[in-house]
Amino acid sequence: MPIELATEVPLVIETLERLFQPSTIARIIVEGLGKAAVYFVLAVGLTLVFGLMGVLNFTHGAMAMLGAYIGGLVMVLSVSDGTDALVRIALFMVVLAVVFALLTGFGSAFEYSLIRPIYDRTPMYQILLTFGVALILEEVTRIVVLSQGIQPEPPWSGAMGTAPAVFTERYDILGAPIRGLYAFEIVLGIVAVVGVWLFLNRTLYGLYIRAGSEDPEMVEALGIDVRQAFTIVFGLGTGLAGIGGVLLMWDPLWGPSALLAIDVLLYAFVVVIIGGLGSFKGTVVAAILVGIADSFTTWLFATGIVTFTGLPELTIFGLLVIMLIIRPQGLYGVEEVGGH
Amino acid sequence: MSSSDEHWIRSYGRDQFPHVLVVLGFALYPILLGVLNRTPVASEASAFLPGLTFMIIVLYMGLFAISFDFISGYTGYLSFGHAAFYGTGAYFVVLAANGQVPGVPEGMPFMITMFLGATLAFVVALAIGAVSFRLTGVYFAMLTLGFAQVMYEFIRHWGYVSSNPTEGATIPSGADMSIGVPFVDSLNFAVGRLSGDSFENVLGLGIDISATMTSYYALGIVVLLSYFVMQRIIHSPFGKVMIAIRENEERARAVGYNVFWYKMGAFATSAFFAAIAGALFAAYAGGASPDNSFYFLVTADALIMAIIGGIGTLAGPLFGALFHEWFEDILSTESDGLSTYLEQLLPESVLTAEVAGLTINDFIGTFLDGRAPLYLGIIFVLFVLFVPNGLLGSIRDRLGGTVSKRIPAALERYRR
Repeated sequence: MPIELATEVPLVIETLERLFQPSTIARIIVEGLGKAAVYFVLAVGLTLVFGLMGVLNFTHGAMAMLGAYIGGLVMVLSVSDGTDALVRIALFMVVLAVVFALLTGFGSAFEYSLIRPIYDRTPMYQILLTFGVALILEEVTRIVVLSQGIQPEPPWSGAMGTAPAVFTERYDILGAPIRGLYAFEIVLGIVAVVGVWLFLNRTLYGLYIRAGSEDPEMVEALGIDVRQAFTIVFGLGTGLAGIGGVLLMWDPLWGPSALLAIDVLLYAFVVVIIGGLGSFKGTVVAAILVGIADSFTTWLFATGIVTFTGLPELTIFGLLVIMLIIRPQGLYGVEEVGGH
Repeated sequence: MSSSDEHWIRSYGRDQFPHVLVVLGFALYPILLGVLNRTPVASEASAFLPGLTFMIIVLYMGLFAISFDFISGYTGYLSFGHAAFYGTGAYFVVLAANGQVPGVPEGMPFMITMFLGATLAFVVALAIGAVSFRLTGVYFAMLTLGFAQVMYEFIRHWGYVSSNPTEGATIPSGADMSIGVPFVDSLNFAVGRLSGDSFENVLGLGIDISATMTSYYALGIVVLLSYFVMQRIIHSPFGKVMIAIRENEERARAVGYNVFWYKMGAFATSAFFAAIAGALFAAYAGGASPDNSFYFLVTADALIMAIIGGIGTLAGPLFGALFHEWFEDILSTESDGLSTYLEQLLPESVLTAEVAGLTINDFIGTFLDGRAPLYLGIIFVLFVLFVPNGLLGSIRDRLGGTVSKRIPAALERYRR
């Protein structure tokens, strides 16, 4: 099919004209950073666990799903129509803390009882084990949710409806209508980045993790109980997945559903691999990259410039493939971590 | 193991003894099912034995799981995006049947489009492998998964496939999906859930062969041939290098093998047979959708079957598939499973009796109907933890060699 210059060139120019308007740029950047914050929180636990232990945790998505449902449950039970926005946000913070504590404990118990016995096998068996557990968690969630009269898919609208009006309304930023939730997500994302950075660089366990990612045998030789560090870090990674799930609870693009178990996992993989497995800095950069790419392609589709409906998803996984072709170890990854 | 004065046919036959048993078992199963249905245990049989429709799934999913095992079990490279090849095969035959593949005229026999689709998957695998085999371990698994996911998202939104691409495409009702020798009508048997050939009073023996049965046998022959090709490759020098790569890739390279091309060859061959499995599935199901062909969970099913059956045993995944589908069958209501049986067996008063606020009926509905994934997940985890070699792998460990080598020798001992 020959490209017809008479129609193609004006279209490109028109696209560029529309792109370089302040309202468009504001929209792409704010929405992109909001999405990036979500991607970061979803992915960072996965990368911490992989960096220290070399275990690719397939339960990560299922844990986020649990977080979303537990969060949704608490919100639905405690919020009524007249509840004030500030109270809702305060409740949300309480839910974050509760879910983090619960899932950290659950993750630690899981690592201690099931993963610990198979560290001496090839990495494949850790993938298989966590994958199997993820299947079980998803099915159990489906049974429980259904028994309460809620459909496991599509997303649970009751929980999504507990979001305060300030987040569902759109605000005018440089002429672009942007949902309030994105600002909230960006704030939480920054808190998460700073929090994890402080944990890694200012605490003893952070030191263990950084050292353990470099050379676990040396760390062990220096008298540090690496096994115990594994259990704690696996728990923290799971807790972070839970926080990510709570964050998805109000997001109109996600919401609590059984589908999260796989969707979250796949997106978290993309972010982690683009950034480099085990790299904190890489995860931050990759989350921003993926978030902006997501909002840009969503804009392309929303304005009708591109009519292909699956463009955002295709772009995100396409980014993964391109990154792996040109730089297999990811942006900041160390070559051959988790190798054969 | 054979003595030198023995005729080669005898020793060959003895080596193939377990194969013959398994093939006979599969071939006679529909007849057994038919006979049982006329006996007093008919309701037990239909509740606890896999129905024929599930046995057909065993065949094509078994072949897919075998092809997955061919690359993952023998070279140690976990192909997490194997559904991409299964989907390629399935979509190719569906699009070809609709005349939508450029260069393939409408009405091309299914056997040829299946072969073309498999060849396409072979080429796609070479392209994916060229990139992916620069990496190992977890990275290889993730990269193949990434490619498969891109293809999944693309096919889900590609308007060319059908007007509603998320629902997939169907084979037009008039299309001839026959397995057999192309262009020889009498040696072709149409397959399909509803549209297959059926025969009444075969050879005047009073035996009726239903459309499902025709599909079962036709698919079975393709699966059998595919298995033997893969089995030959595994037992050839090429296959030995594949195993060497799994055990110690550095050493295989140091010995002088160009491991990259061995891996590429193994991956592409595996993709070829995965596409055959996909094509069989599409022909039988009368269409394909993204979620039952290209999706990650399709690979996951093959993975579960391979682990339960025994990874690195080639034949094991077929038994894994049998186990998987048997479980799906007895826990579903589609063809008289466990719940239907219990509902018929237990009197109404028991079914509605409450135990801690839960009636037996509720219990069946909540914990049995369609809950196979839950129990399969639990069984899968138990296998990973305690039976990492799977069913067939553990049997081989127990016997100290492959079944075909050990069973005849054991029989021989008893005869003397």
